[in-house]
Amino acid sequence: MPWGGALLASILQNTLNALQWGSFYSLIALGYCLVYGVLLLINFAHGDVYMVGAYIAFFVATFLLASGGLPGWVVLAVTVPITMVLTAAVGVTLERVAYRPLRRKGAHRLYVVVTALMCGIILENGNLALLGAASRAFPELVTTTVFSLGDVKLTNLKVAVIVVAIGSFLILETIVSRTKIGMAMRALSYDRFALPLMGIPPDTVIVFTFVLGSSFAALAGLLFAMSYPVLDPYMGAMVGWKAFIAAVVGGIGEIRGAFAGGFLLGFVEIMVAAFLPSTFRDLIAFTILLFILWMKPTGLFGVARFQKI
Amino acid sequence: MALLDVKDVTQQFGGLRAVSSFSVALEERELVGLIGPNGAGKTTIFNLVSGFYQPTMGTIRFKDQPTAGLKPNHVTTLGVSRTFQNIRLWNDMTVLDNIRVAHHSQLSYGFFGCSFRSARYRDQEKDITANAMKTLEALDLDQYADEFPKNLPYGTRRKVEIARALSIHPRLLMLDEPAAGLNTADLTGLIDLIGWIHKEFPITIWMIEHQMQVVMSLCQRIQVIDFGATIAEGTPTEIQNNPAVIKAYLGDDTI
Amino acid sequence: MKRYAWLIPVLLLALIGFGPPLAAAEDVIKIGFNIELTGDIPDVGEASKNAAEYLKNQINNAGGFDVGGKKYKLQFIYEDNEAKAESAVSAAQKLITQDEVLAIVGPQASKQAVPAGEAANNLETPMISPWSTNPNTTKDRPYVFRGCFLDPFQGPVVAKFVTEEFKAKKAAVLYDIASDYPKGLAEFFKAAFEQMHGAGSIVAFETFTTKDKDFSAQLTKIVASGAEILFVPQYYNEVPMIIKQAKQLGWTKPIMGADAWAGGDLMGLCGDDCKGHFFPAHYSNVGAKGETKQFIDNYTELYKKTPDDVAALTYDAIGVVLAAIKQAGLTGKVKKDRTAIMEAMGKLKDYPGITGTMTFKPDGDPIKCAVVVKINNEGKFEFYKSVCP
Ligand SMILES: Nc1ncnc2c1ncn2[C@@H]1O[C@H](COP(=O)(O)OP(=O)(O)OP(=O)(O)O)[C@@H](O)[C@H]1O
Ligand SMILES: [Mg+2]
Repeated sequence: MPWGGALLASILQNTLNALQWGSFYSLIALGYCLVYGVLLLINFAHGDVYMVGAYIAFFVATFLLASGGLPGWVVLAVTVPITMVLTAAVGVTLERVAYRPLRRKGAHRLYVVVTALMCGIILENGNLALLGAASRAFPELVTTTVFSLGDVKLTNLKVAVIVVAIGSFLILETIVSRTKIGMAMRALSYDRFALPLMGIPPDTVIVFTFVLGSSFAALAGLLFAMSYPVLDPYMGAMVGWKAFIAAVVGGIGEIRGAFAGGFLLGFVEIMVAAFLPSTFRDLIAFTILLFILWMKPTGLFGVARFQKI
Repeated sequence: MALLDVKDVTQQFGGLRAVSSFSVALEERELVGLIGPNGAGKTTIFNLVSGFYQPTMGTIRFKDQPTAGLKPNHVTTLGVSRTFQNIRLWNDMTVLDNIRVAHHSQLSYGFFGCSFRSARYRDQEKDITANAMKTLEALDLDQYADEFPKNLPYGTRRKVEIARALSIHPRLLMLDEPAAGLNTADLTGLIDLIGWIHKEFPITIWMIEHQMQVVMSLCQRIQVIDFGATIAEGTPTEIQNNPAVIKAYLGDDTI
Repeated sequence: MKRYAWLIPVLLLALIGFGPPLAAAEDVIKIGFNIELTGDIPDVGEASKNAAEYLKNQINNAGGFDVGGKKYKLQFIYEDNEAKAESAVSAAQKLITQDEVLAIVGPQASKQAVPAGEAANNLETPMISPWSTNPNTTKDRPYVFRGCFLDPFQGPVVAKFVTEEFKAKKAAVLYDIASDYPKGLAEFFKAAFEQMHGAGSIVAFETFTTKDKDFSAQLTKIVASGAEILFVPQYYNEVPMIIKQAKQLGWTKPIMGADAWAGGDLMGLCGDDCKGHFFPAHYSNVGAKGETKQFIDNYTELYKKTPDDVAALTYDAIGVVLAAIKQAGLTGKVKKDRTAIMEAMGKLKDYPGITGTMTFKPDGDPIKCAVVVKINNEGKFEFYKSVCP
């Protein structure tokens, strides 16, 4: 094959790789973005909620596989909603027991952010204490099939991950811009004080925000577990941090920004690893992101916002 | 039975008694003024009635129902609506959306009903937009429907905030210094608007205002407070000539 | 005076409570374990502890360990180094200064063993790492030994094996550049392979950093490079992800691993994807005989798990320490005994371990053979070929 063809194949292949890898960042970044957008709270526990999502998916899937001769795709179809609901419950619990009391007492946002960090550490170490340090293998629910388009290889899983990420973005974008709860979320983010005067309970809106963010983190966790099937309690920490950075670079508070930021980070990471020595990956990737923020401190899609309190 | 019945309400902020033994009874369709010097506790009274604060002592009843323990959003659904001293519009949402948020509250706020877009939901959505437009038209604001409040002149923003407060179909409308920051031309417009609203809608209006012109030309009766306590009550003319009021406003030595 | 009367029974109790162990302290041999009980590779720590407990109970139940005609009870002290370099150093220091052990077994992985070896050597306490294959662990450290062969040895073994077995002329490597063990192995393999097939025969030499989960960019390059084999000198918890992703990107050729593949529950994590691949090992539990078989059977019965090479090497490492103690004798003076043990260990000849016969060179490294193991269709690590230096 001519050299040009090989290069093209490699670019195409790496584009697919980047789309898959960026999908996880995007799905997690969406959750950061939702909570930040509504509460101006950086929910640093979010990466660990995603880890919890992966573990919940693991237990639900292994339980279902063990308890009846269900075919893999049925197990998957049942695992998805159960995982989303249970993980959402975890997210809402965090809101209820950790963030809401502080908000009620009028604590400075800094304390809430630190609380979020601590919640993340508690989730990680709680998992460690509960389940031990051993890694776990996620069962293969659907056989991974490899398709070849010339030299470019595609798997059903890869396609599914990318489609789910894009679908989730569209759903969230619709909820936020078109539905009444979405409108309430936006209103809450601009002025929390005025919302109850329209008869809308702010707590319900906040809980709904956590439900959305956590259930999409669960989806990310499940898909991640299927794609990289070794789970450990710290799996959420680094990915969570990076997704948060992605959300900021995209313009935190903007759904489109978080989505684009996640894919951007995925692309930069993969392309650097592909065409430059992979040792430089994070160095170059984050230098690029830093440069973007330097050029546009509000992020790609963000607009400067002045909050009068 | 009074629409709003406030009895011996006291609000303590640490060592500061912002409201002390305040009482008022507002009847249906009344237009009543609440005046007093800066820091007298007027806004605090509004915050108490709308549920943002829980009174340290005393009771508040709306439509004969005690509101103690109710959250602001709950009080709102009973039919209490208000505006703010410093306008609190959602500046990054269009004027129309600002109004639509309020209309939404009249639907149930279930978790899932709102995220699944059934045909019924779409119909409701259409109704809401139409209703919101009607509210805007009534106040002559429809040409601003797609504008962002932050880009509108101050007087228009005031009007939008009043429109938003009206859009939940309140029984009691509380206006906190609606004339603050308006120029003379806007002022006459505002007086006309409030008068018109009072005539057109079946509501009671309770208004905090420093601008005597507004209070005197609109209010049927006026209550004056200082240091959280009522110092005078009566018709505009009675109040104008009350020495206690003059003293409260101008200080001791001018008497 | 009366006020302090209550102190008398307390002091008496203390005397009773602490007296006997103090008296018996002379009849105890204290050995420290600096192992990875938590962190990235907890399976390794668990296997080490299991093997140690098994050996200890065996000896103590038979009345103790005989040194110069006197029976000693074995006392093992386990310190968790959390699979972190810093913690491994502090664990070594604690064992030496606070617990006053005669010798230390562990750490297992080179990342911990290299810095811990430094600490042990400085404090003049013999240390033997059963599993660390990085040369730096023992280099210029008279007090530090190892129970297994070395990275420089695994590199040529794999290079030799793939050349003979697959007639490979082009090879690819994927390794973690931030970790001593894989980095060392990758470089030694590269040197050996290039020596056989000339410069440029390593057609892809790709890296990632610890905790990475996605290797698609590197593997895309490797698949396109035309390599005939892929060498992945990584730990058991990273291997499944690499192999799965390689497969998904169209890699169908053999994959070679390193001894760390056997360090934990590889098959549990990897499933079918790892079957048919190879790695060099210190021992194979399929087809064992004699004392090795006895160890495997007893261990399996005790822990419901077949012992991996970590367990077997740890068992041997403790054996080496005990053999050296027997040879050196005990005076009861910790510092003096430690040095005597170190000297005896460096001169051990043909110690009959369950992982093979070991002879130590004065530099602390043993001379022994490697086994190339194939992961068969039942997911068992099957003896395939023995490659000797
Ligand atoms: N949340 C609060 N915590 C503590 N003190 C408060 C709080 N809200 C109001 N106050 C105090 O209560 C007093 C009354 O304030 P309030 O805002 O009700 O006055 P006002 O009559 O509305 O004045 P203005 O004409 O300036 O609007 C002031 O001294 C104010 O500082
Ligand atoms: Mg006020």
